[in-house]
Amino acid sequence: MADKLNLTHHISQKFNEELEDVRNRVLAMGGLVEQQIVDALKALTEGDSSLGRAIEQHDYKVNQMEISIDEECSRILARRQPAASDLRLILAIIKTITDLERIGDEAEKIGRFAARLAEQERPTSNYREIEHLGNHVRSMLHDALDAFARLDAEAAFRVAKEDERVDGEYDALSRQSITFMMEDPRTIRRVLDVMWSARALERIGDHAKNICEYTIYLVRGKDVRHTGFEAMEREVLDRR
Amino acid sequence: MTPSWRQEASVALSLFVTALIGWLIFHHLFAWLFAATFVYLGWHVFNLYRLDAWIRRGRQLMTPASLGVWGELFNGFYRMRRRDRERKRRIALLLREFRNSTSAMPDGVVLLDSLWEIIWFNDAAERLLGLRPGQDLQRRIGNLIRHPDFVGYLRHGVFEEPVDIPAPAAPGVRVSLRIVSYGSDQRLLIARDVTRLHRLEEMRRDFVANASHELRSPLTVIGGYLDAMRADSRLEHDWGVPLAEMEHQMQRMLAIIKDLLELSRLETEAREAPFAPVDVPALLQRVQRDALALGRGPRDVVVDVKDPIWVLGSESELFSAFSNLVFNAMRYTPDSGRVSLRWWVDEDGARLSVTDTGVGIAPEHLPRLTERFYRVDRSRNRDSGGTGLGLAIVKHVLQRHDADLEVESEPGKGSVFTCHFPMERVAREARTA
Repeated sequence: MADKLNLTHHISQKFNEELEDVRNRVLAMGGLVEQQIVDALKALTEGDSSLGRAIEQHDYKVNQMEISIDEECSRILARRQPAASDLRLILAIIKTITDLERIGDEAEKIGRFAARLAEQERPTSNYREIEHLGNHVRSMLHDALDAFARLDAEAAFRVAKEDERVDGEYDALSRQSITFMMEDPRTIRRVLDVMWSARALERIGDHAKNICEYTIYLVRGKDVRHTGFEAMEREVLDRR
Repeated sequence: MTPSWRQEASVALSLFVTALIGWLIFHHLFAWLFAATFVYLGWHVFNLYRLDAWIRRGRQLMTPASLGVWGELFNGFYRMRRRDRERKRRIALLLREFRNSTSAMPDGVVLLDSLWEIIWFNDAAERLLGLRPGQDLQRRIGNLIRHPDFVGYLRHGVFEEPVDIPAPAAPGVRVSLRIVSYGSDQRLLIARDVTRLHRLEEMRRDFVANASHELRSPLTVIGGYLDAMRADSRLEHDWGVPLAEMEHQMQRMLAIIKDLLELSRLETEAREAPFAPVDVPALLQRVQRDALALGRGPRDVVVDVKDPIWVLGSESELFSAFSNLVFNAMRYTPDSGRVSLRWWVDEDGARLSVTDTGVGIAPEHLPRLTERFYRVDRSRNRDSGGTGLGLAIVKHVLQRHDADLEVESEPGKGSVFTCHFPMERVAREARTA
């Protein structure tokens, strides 16, 4: 990498530790959110209503972490006045935790729908499609966080591109749901809940994509939001 | 004088003698002395040049040949280099063997430094944990393995037991991670594939849950008939005692099944209890009331609430754990004894102690006390009506609340069971949750 980030060489050892620490906490928060998605999917596919409701109670931990990381970031900004890559790191972190928190909220939502769906009859497909979509989104978030941990812009770009496929899967799922509802209006209530869960998963994919964009911004120093994949690809690959 | 120095001296002497002979025949003493010195110096510089060239080339083993001290020096350098090469070769061989053997190891091994940064890892770690060679060196392990259980394990800093998490890179695989400290501030992370073990454990859990569930309905039916038969006055004379005994044994079986179901529920539910505020002082009052309502054991049950604090957790689970502790105390304490509950908070968190003046437990039994169906004394548990699962339930409930159980006991004097809740589970009042 041409402009290797200088995260490990600082005059102040303490400052370096602070930065690494806050990065570590962001990733720990990411791990927690990842687990929330896993639990939400499990609650949905196994019809476990108590697990679905339990996610709600775990969400407060994620919120707590967001607040404490936010505070730590503003403290670093005020006291250290970081520049260049350090500043980009802090900015990327502040944005990342917002997205992570929203992912947590979406997972909580899925948990709530799962608890409701568990009380109804299960469809023959056994929620296989939504499980597939969910696993796809979960691995997207996992890879996005890996890219952030490794400061790997190319991996981040690959993950961001996955979002297109998630959107496609979501579209297919919603079309299928419409057919179900037309075939048998009695299922509308259940299918709507499934739809809302799928919608939440699709939103999680968008948030994971955002995290990838922050990683690219952090590593390359260029804002690639709203630029389209071609521009993003040029940015990531050109300066190899 | 060593032979090489003698040779050196003879070279110098012969040059000097040549200069003297030159002077005797051709005069010009200084010119001859100068020439001899010049030749001598030139020879040294030439040898220095050869040494420098040899060091610079580096790869060549053979040193140039020379006379006198230089010959000895060159020989010495030659021997040194040969020895070095031999040693290097042996170390490289050893290192290769070591790397090969650790790579072949089925368990993942990651070397970590004092800042939890990765120094080295083997192939199995790459496969199980999804680490990338080259790219992931010098990265903190917690950044790449982010499962909340593992992060908590690192933060907690107690590495006596391994922690089980789903493998980050291999779907469907479970790994057991364990940190071992060595040297000064160095750590070894060992990852073992426990998928099979985990599956077996799951099967066992499901089996216990299903079996208990299936056993419950027939028992209920039998219980119904027993009730009817006991109400029948015609059977009273011949069958009164056996029927009462049957009823008693059936109650015991139902209690065991209830406890088994409770245990399997605790095992299968989410790893952590919810964070709902629980009014512990009120809970303790309820436990006290229930204990006195048992109708046996000591009548002296006191509740001493030092701090009116609450706990974040599950009310029903805590109630079950606390009442199990208190009922145990009631069971093993003579009627003249005393059972006291204390609830207080210190800088480490909140504590509940249940103290009795009962029979006590010998120290060799203490470590195994929370095992299922473990009996300190084969005879006494059955008479007292315990299921043998009470303390196992207590242990599970406390684990789910990040709390520990401490037991102190002296045979004949009584026991103290103390539950310790960490600060993050303590709430000052209902609102803070």
